[in-house]
Amino acid sequence: MIDFARVQKELQECSRDVEKSGIKVSPKSDGSLARLIGTIPGPVGTPYEGGTFQIDISLPDGYPFEPPKMQFATKVWHPNISSQSGAICLDILKDQWSPALTLKTALLSVQALLSAPQPDDPQDAVVAQQYLRDYQTFVGTARYWTESFAKISSLGVEEKVQKLVEMGFPEAQVRSTLEVVGGDENLALEKLCSS
Amino acid sequence: MAEYASSDDEERYQYYDDDDDDDDDVDVDGGDGGDEIVSLRSHGCRPAFKIITKESLMAAQEEDLRMVMDVLSLKEHVARTLLIHYRWDAEKLLEVLVEEGKEKLYADVGVTMMEHGKHIMSRFSSVVMCNICIEEVSANEMTTMDCGHFFCNTCWTEHFIVKINDGQSRRIRCMAHQCNAICDEEIVRNLVSARDLNLAVKFDRFLLESYIEDNRKIKWCPSVPHCGNAIRMDDPQFEVECSCGLQFCFSCSSEAHSPCSCQMWEMWAKKCQDESETVNWISVHTKPCPKCRKLVEKNGGCNLVYCICGQTFCWLCGGATGSDHTWTSIAGHSCGRFKDNEKVKVDRAKRETYLVRYLHYYNRYKAHKDSFKLESKLKETMQAKISNLEDKQCICKDFSWVTNGLSRLFRSRQIISYSYPFAYYMFGDLIENDLTKKEKEIKKNLFEDQQQQLEANIEKLSLYIEKPFDQFSNDEFMELRMKIITQSVVVDNLCSKLYECIENELLGSISGETHIIAPYKSKGVEKALELSVCRDMETSNTERNSG
Repeated sequence: MIDFARVQKELQECSRDVEKSGIKVSPKSDGSLARLIGTIPGPVGTPYEGGTFQIDISLPDGYPFEPPKMQFATKVWHPNISSQSGAICLDILKDQWSPALTLKTALLSVQALLSAPQPDDPQDAVVAQQYLRDYQTFVGTARYWTESFAKISSLGVEEKVQKLVEMGFPEAQVRSTLEVVGGDENLALEKLCSS
Repeated sequence: MAEYASSDDEERYQYYDDDDDDDDDVDVDGGDGGDEIVSLRSHGCRPAFKIITKESLMAAQEEDLRMVMDVLSLKEHVARTLLIHYRWDAEKLLEVLVEEGKEKLYADVGVTMMEHGKHIMSRFSSVVMCNICIEEVSANEMTTMDCGHFFCNTCWTEHFIVKINDGQSRRIRCMAHQCNAICDEEIVRNLVSARDLNLAVKFDRFLLESYIEDNRKIKWCPSVPHCGNAIRMDDPQFEVECSCGLQFCFSCSSEAHSPCSCQMWEMWAKKCQDESETVNWISVHTKPCPKCRKLVEKNGGCNLVYCICGQTFCWLCGGATGSDHTWTSIAGHSCGRFKDNEKVKVDRAKRETYLVRYLHYYNRYKAHKDSFKLESKLKETMQAKISNLEDKQCICKDFSWVTNGLSRLFRSRQIISYSYPFAYYMFGDLIENDLTKKEKEIKKNLFEDQQQQLEANIEKLSLYIEKPFDQFSNDEFMELRMKIITQSVVVDNLCSKLYECIENELLGSISGETHIIAPYKSKGVEKALELSVCRDMETSNTERNSG
């Protein structure tokens, strides 16, 4: 059984200093705390700067004695993150996990991974090769991906609202749903259909 | 092989001694026994293999653990962690200790040795915050590990359960981030058994089994269904017989396969599996009678087959043999040799030649394997014959010549069957060697001569042993007895000659990977004996508890 009391406390703790760390964790859908969405800002001074990255978190039954499962929901160009699936290659999410770590510390480690790629232990071989052989192109691609996928412009939101309203959902509901899922159009659609 | 196994070496030794004076025939008999005595003295006293049963496993492990605990004055779980790291090679561990020092040893293994004075707990008030569940818990519900980290018992228990279920019983680390300390087994056991007794039992079993699974010198007996035994090898040896009766190769854990090397055997086993469809298609279980072409199935141990049409033929080559076909003349027949038919080579594709060559060796290998299976049934019939004779108050009271002959037959049958895959690789081009074509041809002839002699004599022994000697008159009976005894000796000598030939003439020329072949033992595959548990175990155990 997941220790929900602890998850609850972690969420409170996290929201307390969200201003300072910029790291957010919120429940994905109302009800269950087993599926969460984490948000980290791209570290300053990296190609990811200015982007906001969303991470799908799913807690196994044994949490916190088993590591949380984390995966990038936002597309990102990084040697240790799959450009296809968003899978993260990070030791503390595997054998180096300790129950003393929290969702916030894990997300901080993921953020640290963004600023310090380890191309020798790659998750995405294509990206890693580019990182090692042609660093300039790598930086370019990573920045382009950040611009294209990790930035939610206000104009973008309006476009999405319009699109969803055209599909026949009431505008107020579309706006609130988009907010809950953090602006992801597909997730919002999924949620609107299931509600 | 059960009866043979149970007959005690010591008893046989005694018997030959008594019998020597009053029986003329015993010279030969005694010769066979003499062999036994020599081998008994040379390495029978201290067998290289020990059986570790479920019962002795604990004691065997404790012995090693205590040694390390005493030398380094450590707790059991630390000693275990060190030993697991060194794959239970206590000598290696001590070597590192002497040469590199305690600190290096601990650092290599990742054991953190912390001062025990750090009982931070006592300084706190009665309620302490657990950093895992983030709850306030009363201090007596908390447990501090050797490393000084403390968490509440509920969290510790959860952590242990997850790790045990994850198969990590042997290395459960402290919950603190980046703390490498291994948790005290006693604490794990106590906390887990309070929650789930079965899991605590599982934990203990995993710890125990580490002694076998992480140990260079110990292997599980590969029997299916598993007999529960493991075998410990004290001196480098190759083939062993477990108390469950299974004979296996210690280095690759597959069936005993000498004179094939492990590498050859692995390739052969795989090849037989891959090509089994083709081989089935050619149907190895039956052979067409050379006269009436009916398919004949072999239902007896020897290689002279009678078709219902009355035709006799050789099972190995399928060639007709006249009624004057005797066992001695089969000894001279040359179907054990592989003939490279020039015409075939030219006409057919190369691949086909490979298949023909493979089938040549495979069919002979399989034929002997099948004979072995059929002959295995002789054990029971032989017992029936013996008890039959005992009832009739036969002139001969001792039947060790039958059992000895039978075990000689079994052993040699296996050797001859495995000699075919050996020859397949030795004289083929799959294994690189330094031989020229001509040298290879000479050596091949030499080997095949030996092989054929052995083969013929095994058939002879098989024929004798299958005779209904319990129905024989006294004279006939004594004559057959003599024949079986002499034939056993002949086969034994030929087996050891074949191994000598392999060892001295053939193996040296193989380059690259080393092919080690289990040496031939006249006595048969070495039987592992029960491990005798150290007698002062009990006392040292009580000492430890009191101290």
